[in-house]
Amino acid sequence: MTPDKRIIAAVYHLSKDLGKHFKLQDINLQIANGEFVFLVGPSGAGKSTLLRMMYMDDYPASGQVVVGKFVSTRMRRKTIPNLRRKIGIIFQDFRLLEDRTVFENIALAMKVTGTGMGEIKRQMTEILTRVGLYHKRYDYPPALSGGEQQRVAIARAIANRPAVLLADEPTGNLDPAATKNILELLFKINAGGTAVLMATHDIDLVKSFGQRIIYLEEGRIVRDKEMIYVGDIRDRIDQSKVSRRAEMLSDHEITDGGKE
Amino acid sequence: MKFNQFRYIIDESVGMLRRRMAANLIAVVIMGLSLLILAAFLLVTLNISGVIEKTSKETRVFIYLEDGTGEEVSREIYSRGMGIEEVEEVVFISRDEALANFRQALGEESDLLDALEGNPLPDAYRLKLKPGYIRSKVMERIAAQAAEWPGVEEVRYGRKWFERGEKLVRGFYIVDLALGLIVFLSVIFVISNTVRLTILNRRRAIDIMKLVGATNAYIQVPFIIEGALQGMVSSLLAGVLLFTLFQVAGRYIPGLVFIRTDAVSGFVVFCAALGALGSFSAMRRHLKL
Repeated sequence: MTPDKRIIAAVYHLSKDLGKHFKLQDINLQIANGEFVFLVGPSGAGKSTLLRMMYMDDYPASGQVVVGKFVSTRMRRKTIPNLRRKIGIIFQDFRLLEDRTVFENIALAMKVTGTGMGEIKRQMTEILTRVGLYHKRYDYPPALSGGEQQRVAIARAIANRPAVLLADEPTGNLDPAATKNILELLFKINAGGTAVLMATHDIDLVKSFGQRIIYLEEGRIVRDKEMIYVGDIRDRIDQSKVSRRAEMLSDHEITDGGKE
Repeated sequence: MKFNQFRYIIDESVGMLRRRMAANLIAVVIMGLSLLILAAFLLVTLNISGVIEKTSKETRVFIYLEDGTGEEVSREIYSRGMGIEEVEEVVFISRDEALANFRQALGEESDLLDALEGNPLPDAYRLKLKPGYIRSKVMERIAAQAAEWPGVEEVRYGRKWFERGEKLVRGFYIVDLALGLIVFLSVIFVISNTVRLTILNRRRAIDIMKLVGATNAYIQVPFIIEGALQGMVSSLLAGVLLFTLFQVAGRYIPGLVFIRTDAVSGFVVFCAALGALGSFSAMRRHLKL
């Protein structure tokens, strides 16, 4: 099986009431291995809730979520840690342990899987270099800038080489320079083969990148826009489709998103 | 893999204790002081009930013989006395002995007795009851029984005093038990609340650990160890403080006894278990682990 064709994460007919004015309704989406997808919508649209269901911190009332081999309807509480080790998650507020160094924060993700200390140290050099924080490995998060803290969070998220990275407004607390930096880092990680699903309210920020964008409004997917451009190495669609879709600028309801 | 996990859990526990030294100390002091109240209460109860027991053990029933009772009748009274089930010991006190005792009891005033013509005191038997039978009902029955025997002039056991004392003791135990229950519940409340706050303070950290895929054991064990240590250290603190208080009080009140060593160790173990259980259930309830 070529990894490009595999669906790494999918949501089928997901619905859930979340209070009076807030519900997710019949959400369907599929993310292929190595794909980069933006999930865009105003705050309150249900982006965070949808992501939470993908790392199974919450469950749909109906429908199901599939991430790798984990299926929400068959999920047992005990196996949740196994799922979390296979995916990376980052947030607007970084969620770092402030009383531990950068190194310890990142190492935690590997320690919980039982990775030996020697192995952790060996991989750490590479990970820290990738996020550009090798020189700050013994600093504590409060001493770092927002952008740096988010890079620590990203390093922790990718420490176990996840197949998919979920990012919930990762640039929400950052200035434009740091935002650009974080986005570049996410693209770099994606280029390494990790699928990325990034939720943001900022359409302007992401529309220029030419990645697939899923629009979520009031708990519904209103558009799943797939912009295909020449040279996309992870283009899963044959060239005839590409040109046809490029012509239409392919705004379409999600029916075949992520499928061959 | 297993070994690494185990090692990291121990690392986590040690790291957590080191990092949270200040918070732990505060918790230990709060818990230690509330345990001190409970332990002090137990110590006071222990000493008062000790005095009560000792006093009631010294209670005797006295059978006074008629003047000029012959040896045969007297011996008969002795064997009847010994025949009573609740009686442990029967001792004969001759009138001369009684007078000597009286003289001794009067001390410096004993020359008052010189004014007496002869010895006005009768011969007597002193009945000691078996422990557990020292109750006014039993003594009343024995007294009524013995009063009927030939050669017996009077039976006395300090009835009024004893009945009043008995009521007082019963009242004391009821109040003591009620107070003890309140103190105990308050201490449990203080401790469980302290533990709960400790855990809620760490909610963010726990959520982060869950996020990166830490198992429940990985998250919980350090907290359970911390809870057990808090319980242990705070009960030891309470013990040391109480012992200090005990030493000071001992200078003013003679005959005080301290809680037995095995009870103290039991208390420490109990508090450690309480701390561990508190951590565990707080995580269960508040963090849905």
